[in-house]
Amino acid sequence: MVQQVVDWLDERLDLSGLKHFIAEKGVPVHAQEIWYYLGGLTLFLFAVQVFTGILLLLYYRPSSTEAYESVQFIVTRVPFGWLIRNVHSWSANLLIGAAFAHFFSVFLLKSYRKPREMTWISGMLLLLLMLGFGFSGYLLPWNELSFFATKVGTGIAGSVPLVGGFLIRLLRGGDDVTGATLSRFFGLHVAILPAMSTALVALHLLLVQRQGMSVPLRVEKHLKPGERVRQMPFFPNYILRDVLVWYVALAALAALAAFSPWGLGRKADPFAAVPPGIRPEWYFLAMFHTLKLIPSHVLGFEGERLGVIAFGLVAVFLVFVPFVDRRSRDGRNSPVFTAIAIAGVLYLVVFTILAQIAS
Amino acid sequence: MSESADFPSTAAAGSFNRRTFLDALLTVGFVSTAAAIAYPVSRFLVPPASGEAATNSVVAAKAAALKPNSGLIFPFGSKPAIVVRSGDGELSAFSAVCTHLECTVQFKTDTSQIWCACHNGLYDLAGQVISGPPPRGLERFTVNLRGEPGAEDIVVSRGA
Amino acid sequence: MSSSRYWRRSLRSAVAVAALVVCARTAAAQPAAGSAATNTCASCHATLAEPKLSAPPAAFARQDVHRESGFTCIDCHGGDRTAADKLKAHDAARGFKGAPAGQTQIAACARCHSDAEVMRKYAPRQRVDQAAEYATSVHGKQLAAGDSRVATCASCHGAHGIRRVNDAKSPVYPTNVATTCATCHASASHMSGYMLAGKQPLPTNQLALYQQSVHYAALTKGNDLSAPTCNDCHGNHGAAPPGAGSVVNVCGTCHAVFAQKFSTSVHAQIFDRGCVECHSNHAVRKPSDAMLGTDAQSLCAGCHSGADDKGVMAATKMRGDIERLKAGLNRSSATVSALSNAGMEMSAQELAVGTARTRLTLARTEMHAFDPTHVTPVVQEGLATLAAVDKAGETATAELRFRRRGLAVSLGAILLVVVALAFKIRQLERR
Repeated sequence: MVQQVVDWLDERLDLSGLKHFIAEKGVPVHAQEIWYYLGGLTLFLFAVQVFTGILLLLYYRPSSTEAYESVQFIVTRVPFGWLIRNVHSWSANLLIGAAFAHFFSVFLLKSYRKPREMTWISGMLLLLLMLGFGFSGYLLPWNELSFFATKVGTGIAGSVPLVGGFLIRLLRGGDDVTGATLSRFFGLHVAILPAMSTALVALHLLLVQRQGMSVPLRVEKHLKPGERVRQMPFFPNYILRDVLVWYVALAALAALAAFSPWGLGRKADPFAAVPPGIRPEWYFLAMFHTLKLIPSHVLGFEGERLGVIAFGLVAVFLVFVPFVDRRSRDGRNSPVFTAIAIAGVLYLVVFTILAQIAS
Repeated sequence: MSESADFPSTAAAGSFNRRTFLDALLTVGFVSTAAAIAYPVSRFLVPPASGEAATNSVVAAKAAALKPNSGLIFPFGSKPAIVVRSGDGELSAFSAVCTHLECTVQFKTDTSQIWCACHNGLYDLAGQVISGPPPRGLERFTVNLRGEPGAEDIVVSRGA
Repeated sequence: MSSSRYWRRSLRSAVAVAALVVCARTAAAQPAAGSAATNTCASCHATLAEPKLSAPPAAFARQDVHRESGFTCIDCHGGDRTAADKLKAHDAARGFKGAPAGQTQIAACARCHSDAEVMRKYAPRQRVDQAAEYATSVHGKQLAAGDSRVATCASCHGAHGIRRVNDAKSPVYPTNVATTCATCHASASHMSGYMLAGKQPLPTNQLALYQQSVHYAALTKGNDLSAPTCNDCHGNHGAAPPGAGSVVNVCGTCHAVFAQKFSTSVHAQIFDRGCVECHSNHAVRKPSDAMLGTDAQSLCAGCHSGADDKGVMAATKMRGDIERLKAGLNRSSATVSALSNAGMEMSAQELAVGTARTRLTLARTEMHAFDPTHVTPVVQEGLATLAAVDKAGETATAELRFRRRGLAVSLGAILLVVVALAFKIRQLERR
């Protein structure tokens, strides 16, 4: 039956180019191929977020007087609302984890090298967008934890030199975290960031399809001139494997939603004192802890400000890595950047653990 | 959600049977997981009976059910509330949580006042304290009638 | 002297007396005639150096309820306010009384304030029996016996710069009454020599004790002007401590339910000081369940001991019931909030827990009859409500478990697909 549908479309759209592409498309086979699946995993989890997010949009109300109650309504009264909400909350965390894993694997394997610089830049921007999704979405249930985490997080934006105050007002929709902040974050979360992500994901995927999967330097080196690395057919071999990974992710989501459901928390009270031990979600912990450890004044400058500037510079540096790492561009080993990647992983892991212990 | 696969009776049929079996298993698996996703989603899309979060507005009772000079306690969210019809037919609604020590108040028909049994607090039909320990009046709610004439609902709401 | 001269002099005196009487009467009916501008009292006293003489007219001129009604210095002090000469102004023949004190002061105020016809013209709702009440008070009786240290009208209300009682700056505004009474009653030197009935010296710590009380807190911090201060229990002008046996009635003016229950109890016949025995008179603190019982912190143990003492048995039973209800409330409300946080709809159960909490408040009220058979049924009602709540909680927990099982089943289906996929891939690639 599927064949009949395909034939019907072929008659009208001439799918021969597409069919040829699919039949010929291959994915390199080598020891490091397992990392290829992380991109698809990230895409799958993003799709889960869009799907569950749209469902939640049917009942959620983005006002400070109704947000908490609407989430409570979804979770207690809407049939399977608890399931949709839990999947959305857990998938968000898995998505960011997958995005970081994808980022680090690409970094370590130097897949960003020529000719894939644009793929890398669009990917880096997507990573930042995912963090934006996480930060904006976290406020939406309007409970105690999310309110104060947003207060602390947006407060850090104030440390940006020159435009800090302006940035805070831009983020918060005012001087304090209020219903105006909620409206703004909602707009970001369901409209602005999705629009930007759609465009960037489309570009990212187009580039990957056009250029094919990158092969690690180590494997490339062992090729004889003119030889192509062994390929597996994209369809059905790679697709089936991809779907398998997606199903594993689905299993993880089901398990997490079943055994570790997300609570409602207490409704945010802007006039209450900050609860002790308030901290952001785990993917911001390392950065948060670093800022806490920096002494309040370093060489006459405000410590937090220096930290924020440093992180900003790191982000900019990462975006332009393909242009800085000339050795990999020329197809040579680049141990410096390997070291940077490993240091990055270690830093994030260690500081996240430290932050957890500290609280 | 668990599927029941039909096992081919002969194991000796070889790879062909195993392939069909595997394909059948996969199909069943995909279909059942798809159903496991589609079913909750379709149930989710249908709005529940209560319509919307009952924090700001609640149907207290049928207007006809509340006789003059009587009061009725009803739940407003997780707190009790009281709707009162005075002797001349006026409806009013208040929080039924006494402002003294949070006991639930009630309507006293003989004196047409709202009374708290715990420590004899008395409120008038404007929710203000007449006597007894309550330090403040009862929070007042808005009352509206909604529906077909003759079969209206009393809708009690609060907030802006 | 000749009879005609005698008669003429008598006539003159009679006319003078009659005039004086007429003037006095009319003076009582309204402020003294003469334009307000001619007030040599104020203009002369303003020039005096001694504050005792210059301050009162200044205060009177600034803000005074009598002045606002048109009264002037001579309406209380007598004399002539048009005379520039001190002797003429202070002439006793013109009615000058000086600064009235003691009984004279009472009489000076009562001249208008005990006259209903006068008061009707200025403040029809005001009472006119203050002087009569005062005569029945400890202050009034002491004054009649010749004690000049006791309070008179001006001691509490002031003399010049008098404000209305509902003026927040008045010394007799509800939040200020205690400090006004304490000006004398908290001063050991002023109260020295006064004794209680049992020959102990009159205490001077009432203000300090009162400031620890819930009544003081309600009045000053809770903005509840109906909360009692000194005059609400001791009386206003007829101030005297409530006698034994009347304490319950006094407290019962506000705490009616407790007074009614207490008066049915055995303690009503036994306690000398009624409510005060357990709750104290000035330092009335927030009561706690720990007051009821037979352990060291309880009040019952102060009189009751021994396992076969009826009081001990009653106290143990009532405290036990109340504690059981409290424990049940804590348990049930913790369960309800945990389930609510986990995403179950628990508003009806929250409502029911509130109803059970009402039963706890009622049980603490019923306890004042000191009879367990009053307390137990109320506690049982509360526990029954909580039992229903717990049952609903179990249903909710079962629902949560059911959801978990459902997800576990779909997890199985998903893993099945994973396994099948793995085999399929292997199968594809074997060829």
